[in-house]
Amino acid sequence: MDPRVLEIALVVGAVGLWAACYAALFLVTRPASPRPGPATQELGTESPAVASLLANRWAVTEDAVEATLLDLAARRHVELRQPAADPMQTTVHLRPEADQSGLTAYERRVLDRVGALAVGGVVPVTALTFRDDKQAKRWTKQVRVEIVAEARTKGLSQRRFGKTAVGLLVAAAGVVATVVAAAAIHYNQRVVEEDEAGLVIFAFFFTFIALSAIAGRYPGERDTLDGRVVAARWLGVRDWLRGHEEFADLPPAAATVWDRYLAYGAALGVTRVASSVLDLGMGSRRLVWSSYGGTWYRVRVRYPRFWPKYGRKAFDLITRALLSIGLGLVLVLYGTKPRQILSDAAPARWFDTFEPLARIAGIALLAYGGYKLLRAVIDLATERTITGEVLWVQVWRTARKDDDARPEPVLHYLAVDDGAGDRTTAWALPSELAFCNDGDTVTLRVRRWTRRVLTLKVNERSKRGDFTESTVDHESEDLVATTLGSTMRAVTGVLRAPDVSPATLLTAEEVGHALGMAVRMQDEVPVPGPFRMVTFHTVERNKQVLLLQLAGGRMGAWAWRSNSRGTPLPGIGDGAFANGDRATLRFGETTVVLTLLGKGKGHRQHLPWLLTQAAGRMSA
Amino acid sequence: MGNLGLFIALGAIALVVLLLIGWTISTYNRLVRQRNQVRASWAQVDVQLVRRYDLIPNLVETVKGYAAHERSTLEAVVSARNTAMAAAGTPGGTADRAAAENVLTQALGRLFALAEAYPDLKANQNFAALQAELANTEDKISYSRQFYNSAVQTLNNSIQSFPSSLVAGLGKFEPPAYFEAAGGERGPVQVRF
Repeated sequence: MDPRVLEIALVVGAVGLWAACYAALFLVTRPASPRPGPATQELGTESPAVASLLANRWAVTEDAVEATLLDLAARRHVELRQPAADPMQTTVHLRPEADQSGLTAYERRVLDRVGALAVGGVVPVTALTFRDDKQAKRWTKQVRVEIVAEARTKGLSQRRFGKTAVGLLVAAAGVVATVVAAAAIHYNQRVVEEDEAGLVIFAFFFTFIALSAIAGRYPGERDTLDGRVVAARWLGVRDWLRGHEEFADLPPAAATVWDRYLAYGAALGVTRVASSVLDLGMGSRRLVWSSYGGTWYRVRVRYPRFWPKYGRKAFDLITRALLSIGLGLVLVLYGTKPRQILSDAAPARWFDTFEPLARIAGIALLAYGGYKLLRAVIDLATERTITGEVLWVQVWRTARKDDDARPEPVLHYLAVDDGAGDRTTAWALPSELAFCNDGDTVTLRVRRWTRRVLTLKVNERSKRGDFTESTVDHESEDLVATTLGSTMRAVTGVLRAPDVSPATLLTAEEVGHALGMAVRMQDEVPVPGPFRMVTFHTVERNKQVLLLQLAGGRMGAWAWRSNSRGTPLPGIGDGAFANGDRATLRFGETTVVLTLLGKGKGHRQHLPWLLTQAAGRMSA
Repeated sequence: MGNLGLFIALGAIALVVLLLIGWTISTYNRLVRQRNQVRASWAQVDVQLVRRYDLIPNLVETVKGYAAHERSTLEAVVSARNTAMAAAGTPGGTADRAAAENVLTQALGRLFALAEAYPDLKANQNFAALQAELANTEDKISYSRQFYNSAVQTLNNSIQSFPSSLVAGLGKFEPPAYFEAAGGERGPVQVRF
């Protein structure tokens, strides 16, 4: 067999097998679809958000957040008022007197969001949308993990891949990485004359880390035994509510009549109108709510894309205008020159056509350049200062400093409502001035024609930036961290490299003194993963005599377990052992292993002394 | 040519007839579904009302221990309960049943008002538990009534609207009565602004 085929087959086969195992596990652990219980109007103790999770096959949908807002209204933490026939005109009113002590983390987060947006305690329900995509994603993710955390606390949900499954996948990743490394060794022996350990180490760790990262990725939630029972009951409630045709057409303000039933209806996906009105996701940048001046109204914003002048610097515009004028002059004044120069080379009718066209183009360029120059000069002379509320900030243009660099923002769109009307055109904000957020009150110095912002001053910061700041207690935060991060933390714990550099633990002089020979320390070879190591070589023949290895985190604990045997050496670090030509030291979460090699093997009696030196450096 | 015209006309008539049959079946099934929802909603009301009947004897006995001489109030509760239970034998949603239940609600209200004058009774744990349970049941009755009335409204709209009223007439669908609350509880809307 062709050795190349063998190498590729080894790598593809091993990785493919691992991927197949992962896919099989994914299939096996898919959330159950419980059969709905009998239709009932009896509500359970779970919140609408958790009910939504269970009814949607253990997935948090946007219904959960909307239902939470309706539930807050049903429990009198906020009021929903509909002043006219159109449910889109519903407003949310804060009730600061309501006791918030019993609220869950995500309920408080939704309430905080309403509070941050409210002006005079009121916010239109359609103004609850986000204006920053990243902020929206971050906020939604936090709410999601808090809902999942609550469901897990009640025993209704569990991580799709448990610790054992992830552990097995990581172990399998280790096997696959070994196979890939073996293929790399084979390749080395076939192609490279000298063994390249770097390629093998890289192949091993790259494969291991990549597959472990996939294994540790959050795979979603799945059912539990209790969860299936409760989900069946909630599906029964859904069937009950669905049977009432009127329910689908209830507006959000009907929460005052239907209390929590409307919230549960929204959570279970049976409230068509209420769910279509409520939207706590990303909003539209073209129709934006403004509260500038103390009342709420909508502003239409235009974002120019193809205006040649838009956002240009005056220097650029004047330069372009002068170029146009120059080109126009050339065409007008020297349009007949080609006939004089090339009269012998081309027929006369060509010049009869070209000359009037050149003259027309020249005049057009002169007019265009003159107009641009005049407007640019007027624009320069008529700078204005406006004050208003920032409605939308968004990157418009990016540029790379060089081919390899990442694109960086150059210009931002900045929509500002200065109270002059319900329509506006976004300003072009140089990105170095883009330090404001939506809702801030700002003063701008601008050029109206180019819409370019020259200076920006933030007069008052908005509360909206605090959306994602956690107001939940520490215990809940821990729970949330555990919800999504436990397995990943376990994986990263395994892979975490020790903070201490092995080169700082022993000097060449100390090793030389212990081994009775002149040695030098080889530079540390950077290796991905949880290990760090240096080697000491004889000066005379460059032969290895001592290997110093460090392992941190979970891998350090494993290294300690497998090496803590032989003669105990009390008083050194948190524990130490000597076993033949190897000695091990434990200090905190770090394990140090000294291994004598080659000519060093005859000096095992000095290993405790070397460990003492290393322990001393670590404690320092 | 003449045959083709005839075929087209017959085809059009057949299509219209098919559409009509399809619509009739669909409307009839919708009416049946709505009627079943009314019945299911009434069953939910009934469950809560029976729960209330079950709680009343215990409550009366407890109050007797502290305020035996308030005979008229206690007898009114017992009598209202008996009347309501008798009315329960008739088909659901009737005006008589609703009236009897409303009398019982009012009698219970007077009984609880009476307890205010007897601190020992108010402090009695059994009485407090029964009062809480009854309040909970009253809440559930209120929601059940809301669901029932909502289902009745939907069915009545279908029965009385044209053209579904034609199918309702053929299928002998009768508009059920609302279960109306008494006095201050009348109507499902309680705006709290």
